[in-house]
Amino acid sequence: MITPRQLASTVILFLIGSSSLFLLGGNADRDAWISVIIGMLAGLLLLSCVTLQIQKLEPDRNLIEIFKLYFGRIIGFMFGFIYIIYYCYKCIRNVRELADLSIMYLLPDTPLSMIILMICLIGGYAVIGGPGVFFRMVEVLLPILVMIYVVLFILLLSAGLIDLGRLLPILEKGFKPVWDAAMPEIISFPFGEMVLFLMFWRYTAEDGDGTVMRMTIKGYIFAGAFITIMNIITIGSLGQFAGWSVVPLLQATTFVQLGNILERIDPLVSLLLFSAVYVKLTAYYLGASIAFAYLFRVKLRIAAIPVGIGIYVGSFWFRSYMHQVNVGFESNLKFHFPIFQIVIPIVLLLVMLMRKKVRSRGNHAGDD
Amino acid sequence: MFNNNKNKQTAGDDKQTGTDRNGQVEQLLVPDLEQNMERLQRFLGDGADIVCRMLTHRSFPNQRYTLFYMDGIVDGASIGTMLLGLLEDANKVTEDTEGLYTHLIDRSIAVGKIRSATAIEEVGYAMLEGSSVILVEGSLKAILIDTTGGESRSVEEPTSQTVVRGPKEGFTENLRTNTALVRRIIKSPKLRFDYKVIGRETRTNIAVVYLQGIAQDDVVQEVHRRIDQIEIDAILESGYIEEFIQDKAFTPFPLIQNTERPDAACAGILEGQVVIMVSGTPFVLIAPVTFVKFFQSSEDYYQRYDISTFLRFIRVASFFISMLLPSLYIAITTFHQEMLPTPLLISLAAQREGVPFPALVEAFLMEITFEILREAGVRMPRIIGPAISIVGALVLGQAAVQAGLVSAAMVIVVSFTAIASFVIPAVNMGSAARLIRFALMILGGSFGLFGIMSGLMVLLAHMSGLRSFGKPYLLPFSPLIVSNLKDTFIRVPWWAMRKRPIGMSSNRVPNQHRIGGGKRPDPDQEGA
Repeated sequence: MITPRQLASTVILFLIGSSSLFLLGGNADRDAWISVIIGMLAGLLLLSCVTLQIQKLEPDRNLIEIFKLYFGRIIGFMFGFIYIIYYCYKCIRNVRELADLSIMYLLPDTPLSMIILMICLIGGYAVIGGPGVFFRMVEVLLPILVMIYVVLFILLLSAGLIDLGRLLPILEKGFKPVWDAAMPEIISFPFGEMVLFLMFWRYTAEDGDGTVMRMTIKGYIFAGAFITIMNIITIGSLGQFAGWSVVPLLQATTFVQLGNILERIDPLVSLLLFSAVYVKLTAYYLGASIAFAYLFRVKLRIAAIPVGIGIYVGSFWFRSYMHQVNVGFESNLKFHFPIFQIVIPIVLLLVMLMRKKVRSRGNHAGDD
Repeated sequence: MFNNNKNKQTAGDDKQTGTDRNGQVEQLLVPDLEQNMERLQRFLGDGADIVCRMLTHRSFPNQRYTLFYMDGIVDGASIGTMLLGLLEDANKVTEDTEGLYTHLIDRSIAVGKIRSATAIEEVGYAMLEGSSVILVEGSLKAILIDTTGGESRSVEEPTSQTVVRGPKEGFTENLRTNTALVRRIIKSPKLRFDYKVIGRETRTNIAVVYLQGIAQDDVVQEVHRRIDQIEIDAILESGYIEEFIQDKAFTPFPLIQNTERPDAACAGILEGQVVIMVSGTPFVLIAPVTFVKFFQSSEDYYQRYDISTFLRFIRVASFFISMLLPSLYIAITTFHQEMLPTPLLISLAAQREGVPFPALVEAFLMEITFEILREAGVRMPRIIGPAISIVGALVLGQAAVQAGLVSAAMVIVVSFTAIASFVIPAVNMGSAARLIRFALMILGGSFGLFGIMSGLMVLLAHMSGLRSFGKPYLLPFSPLIVSNLKDTFIRVPWWAMRKRPIGMSSNRVPNQHRIGGGKRPDPDQEGA
């Protein structure tokens, strides 16, 4: 069982996850933070009107069970299966992000296959423990990571790197580039990814007064605010360079020098990013494994093995980090992810509502 | 096999048999005193420490009776008083109908606790536990007199958990002394001692101690259930029990706390934990337990809260140093030299110039050396002590550096790690850090900081999955219980800790608050 607080913690870390690796809304240049806010609000609308509504209608079922219930066995199976693929693919992207980040900043000489293997193993270890273990783990991690982030911000501030003047002038080129940068990219990543929680919500200890919804939205808003602030800080410290660098936040921290004690803290910062990305990839790995377990009626421990192998093998599909980022930002975010995050959930919700209406009408007919 | 044969044989020998609770055939006493004595001697194996004294009573000249006891495990003083009472018994028998057996029980035996038995086995086992036995001619019952005693260590200062301020009493090997030490601290009628006997051969006495109404009932039941499930021939120390009843078999972390200090055991009992005492060892078990408990010393509650909080932070820091420092050193010197300031880097590089091994091998050599030294320090005869320290400090430290086998920085790292590992109050948590250290060193040596981070993530996942008697190991951090945070890595003043730890103790309302509200010292209030 998951406590509501653990749920909120996981929502926060999941959303922060790999989004701190990139400058979200980079196409809007110095107005990127406005794009983030727009994306976040739109994502909030999607979350509260679609994703959470699905959960509200079927609080004790996960996505796979809902598909099977409403779409029948065969179509439900197909939908369940493509969602496993989707979760695995998202996980693969995170594994590659983590692996390439590690090679770039920590281990330049280690073979990629070894690093990916390590990542899959540590992810798999948490997955085998089940959702209870994973969510408890995140609850412990969250305060530590948030604290380190705060220290990092203070360091950046005290080093005089942040110049909010770099954000000016606001909306220089009008509202359109800002809007274009937000839609649908920032909804797809990271805010629309909340669709994964359809796999987890049912494990939450629900006391019947909408705690799940409230804590999810609280976590979401916290994470959204956090990502916005991070965005502002990155732009404020790097200005124009923010759009060009591989990992803007790391770029910014390379300028920090702590007296003569620590020359460079970017390995430490990459560990911070490491933890957040690890949480995100494990969440996807866990979601995919649970989906697999439900779809093929096996135990979670067993399901984690084929899913893990799939993720490991799939990770080699990208030729390089740039290829991965390119595929992600150029096609996935615009065309592929919205299908899973927006289209299918809306269709599902409509089907659920219709069936419910039909059923309640049927019930009324029976009463008459 | 053996048991069956023996039972069959004795059943054939004597017609007087019955069955005991376990359904085993047992020999009942017969009216013939000589035969009873012989059978009891045979049952106990005719040991030289069996004392047998045949007596007659002046009021019953025709009825003999025998006193049996095992020398050495009985209390000499009680035996003396009892014998004196039996020999000098001047009580005239008023009624003829009163037999010797009843007379002895009612009027003669000058010892508090007596009971009767009808079977040779029961009598024999009672004698093995230190009881004296009186067999009466013509009676089918034997009198068992509790004269348990004999030599035992007196209450001394605990050697494993020392404090500057606080009680200096420690538990002993004697179960009765230990229960008395707890009773003397908690004078509550709600204090419960549930006794058990475990071990086919050792028949070790075990006491499960808790405060009724404050300990959670399901936890107490679970402790009983798990202890009752143990099937073993011998229990020599509480460690045997610990391995049988802990929640997860394979984990480096201790899931049950142990202590030698009555005050620490009582503090646990008062917070709803259950204490398991085992006869023959001064170390009692405390369960359920959480991770933070291993960083708390009973002294924390006797000292001022500010210094206690500071010391707890030091301990946690030491735990992480002891676990991480060598691996971090390896990782940074091997993979991430750019993190170090240039002068330090140059100095380290200069030191390592002549060292023939990679940092990982060097660290392993030194760590293993230290572990050997440490083990030698524990096992060696006390007289050889100085020799070990000279060899250890001079030869393995200084000379190794001068010879260029290891770098001086590595010696510093290993020594600091070693000292840090002794700061953790619970020895078993220190051992966990010691074992994990080696795994992390390998990870740090092969994958750098990435490997260490991976190791820590696995560790965190592992700890999130641990439970101690159903209680999450990371309580109160996960699941987070805010009011319990007052006594974790920090300790707030006593007057601010109004509630018992939630989740650990029973949540019946009257028991929740242990401290009255508004007890914060405030000099201004007194005048008004």
